[in-house]
Amino acid sequence: MAAQLVSKSERAYIQASLQATPPLRGDGRGLLDFRTVLLETGVAPLANGSAKLNIGKMPHEGGGGTEVLAATKLEVEDVESGDGVDGGRVVCSVSWCAIRSIQLEPIVQLTKDSSPSAYPHLSSNALDELQYDLTVILQQTIGHPSLHPQNLTIIPRKKSWLLNLDAVILADAGNAVDALFMAARAALWDTKVPRTRAVEYQAPEDSQTTRDSASAMDVDNREAIPTASGFDTREMARTAADFELPDYWDEGEVLHGRERWPVCITLNLLPPSHFLDATPPEEASVPLRMHLMYSFASPSTPKLQSMRLLGPGELNSAQIKSYISEGEKYARELFNALESKLREEDVRRNVKARDRFAQR
Amino acid sequence: MISFASFPSTSEGSGSYTNTRHHPKIEEDEVGMDLDEDDFEEGTQRLTVPGESITSSHAFMRGHGTFVDDEEVIASVAGTVERVNKLITVRAVRSRYNPEVGDLVVGRITEVQPRRWKVDANSRQDAVLMLSSVNLPGGVQRRKLESDELQMRTFFEEGDLLVAEVQAFFADGAMSLHTRSLRYGKLRNGQLVTVPPILIRRLKSHFVALPCGVDLILGLNGYIWVSKHVKESEQEGEEGFDAEAVYSNKNDSIDDATRIAVSRVSNIIKVLAAHFVPLTDTILLEAYEWVVEQEGNVKDLLSDEFGETMVASLGLVPISLLTDVMHTGGF
Repeated sequence: MAAQLVSKSERAYIQASLQATPPLRGDGRGLLDFRTVLLETGVAPLANGSAKLNIGKMPHEGGGGTEVLAATKLEVEDVESGDGVDGGRVVCSVSWCAIRSIQLEPIVQLTKDSSPSAYPHLSSNALDELQYDLTVILQQTIGHPSLHPQNLTIIPRKKSWLLNLDAVILADAGNAVDALFMAARAALWDTKVPRTRAVEYQAPEDSQTTRDSASAMDVDNREAIPTASGFDTREMARTAADFELPDYWDEGEVLHGRERWPVCITLNLLPPSHFLDATPPEEASVPLRMHLMYSFASPSTPKLQSMRLLGPGELNSAQIKSYISEGEKYARELFNALESKLREEDVRRNVKARDRFAQR
Repeated sequence: MISFASFPSTSEGSGSYTNTRHHPKIEEDEVGMDLDEDDFEEGTQRLTVPGESITSSHAFMRGHGTFVDDEEVIASVAGTVERVNKLITVRAVRSRYNPEVGDLVVGRITEVQPRRWKVDANSRQDAVLMLSSVNLPGGVQRRKLESDELQMRTFFEEGDLLVAEVQAFFADGAMSLHTRSLRYGKLRNGQLVTVPPILIRRLKSHFVALPCGVDLILGLNGYIWVSKHVKESEQEGEEGFDAEAVYSNKNDSIDDATRIAVSRVSNIIKVLAAHFVPLTDTILLEAYEWVVEQEGNVKDLLSDEFGETMVASLGLVPISLLTDVMHTGGF
């Protein structure tokens, strides 16, 4: 991620500690230990699905930790006019909260600043690049055709849903990419696609009444119309031209294949060892980082959806192979933990909704 | 290895926001009480939250952290009310570091400029360290040469950590630092921990040596340097002042026990800061002894219950009122 400034002696201290036997980390964690991850789904009431995730927040304290907010919003797109794609699209974007300082003056005002609170030390050019990088990683992995959900079609060849996935990095205290993917997965898991029903538009068939005189209005002369020629495309337009939402109170159904959404695991490589969930000084002290995005559609055959190698160091193919298989193990553990948490969240929110209803 | 949890709920139970919450010790009628001038006696601490009316603007002047509305002085931040004669200020519980001349700070070089370094010291603006305010190789009395200006990066470069003293202020409020003492200068052999600046008490000495072989430098700006102990006699002396040692980037050899102790002390500081306990050398020492008695792992320290037992066992419960103020008044 964004390189945090560390001095040479700090870097040497971190590297020497990691290479000691047994390896030590600045906060006493083991090499493969994550900080505590806090997750909550359904945080944005206006979104179709949303999640807030924090890695490494200290208890009691107001802030701290890497915090990511992800939300999805569905939008109707017209396929025929060329905006949309048949079967729907997924568009991802990553940004940061630009509200830098909040002051309470006689009225509360929000002061906007070009540099965000997550990366206050970066120039605007570096921020743009970072934003682009993260957006591309997310888009290429989440928006990949192999993960495309089947139920984004409203009316075949006419209307489809556009799934916007927006992630905001509120604070970066290390390991932002893992947090980003976990939040994205949670938001997509939480997404509900509204149920739709196709509406057929019945064209007034006696269209020649306009031509006829007013006196012929009440005459049923349907039989008199010659059958439409093959070039007349109005017939096709007559079937299922639009849709309606049958139950407005219902949130809808979940995205198809929501088990497939990938998780990311970042291996911080400091040969010969590697470790997970780095803090910013640790991130700045390792020469290489490897992002591995795994999808566990069927638990027995995980799929490596994408992979990034960052940093100036180098690896040979045998090492890469071993890291990929190691990464699969960690990713599976992360996936299982996240999956059970997401199911827990589903239960919690259903109970809450029921309670709210009972209170009325 | 990886564990998930929920965000701590902001409202305990449903509908708690409909009732006003007060600290249990405060009686209802006390809260509504109007404040007289006697409430601002020296030595008594009074806490306030944003939007709370402090006093009448006829009798007092508004200072930092307050504004006047409807002839009343109203707090704009959560913190303690302070009074100097007729001037009322509120010192925020959480804010950036407000420098004062003579403070000891730990900072990080962000930029090298002609004849000066820019230093991040957790203040509103970057601090400035002039080339003329550092000790250069060859003794204190040496003149600054043009060659020194050309090799400023051999002394400090971007990212380097240093300990310095606030020397003066510029017209715009930025602080000027100096490292003209043998105890000041570049930092090595350890790691940095950051806490809110308000938690650092002014002490007799901000260089603390714990008996576990760990040195602490408690910067008043909230940056704390935790490092391996260096013996007094082995510190770089006045005569043998050589740039090699003072401006070195190389760490000494540090054994594993010391590294573990450094991590343990860092975690203790983090836990105390999370519970909003003001840090002093005695508290840190007590906490360290307690932790060693428990024989826990270093990483267990960061767990929630362990931190709470530690803070409770030290007899430190100053947080209840203060965090109440912060949670209700803070953002």
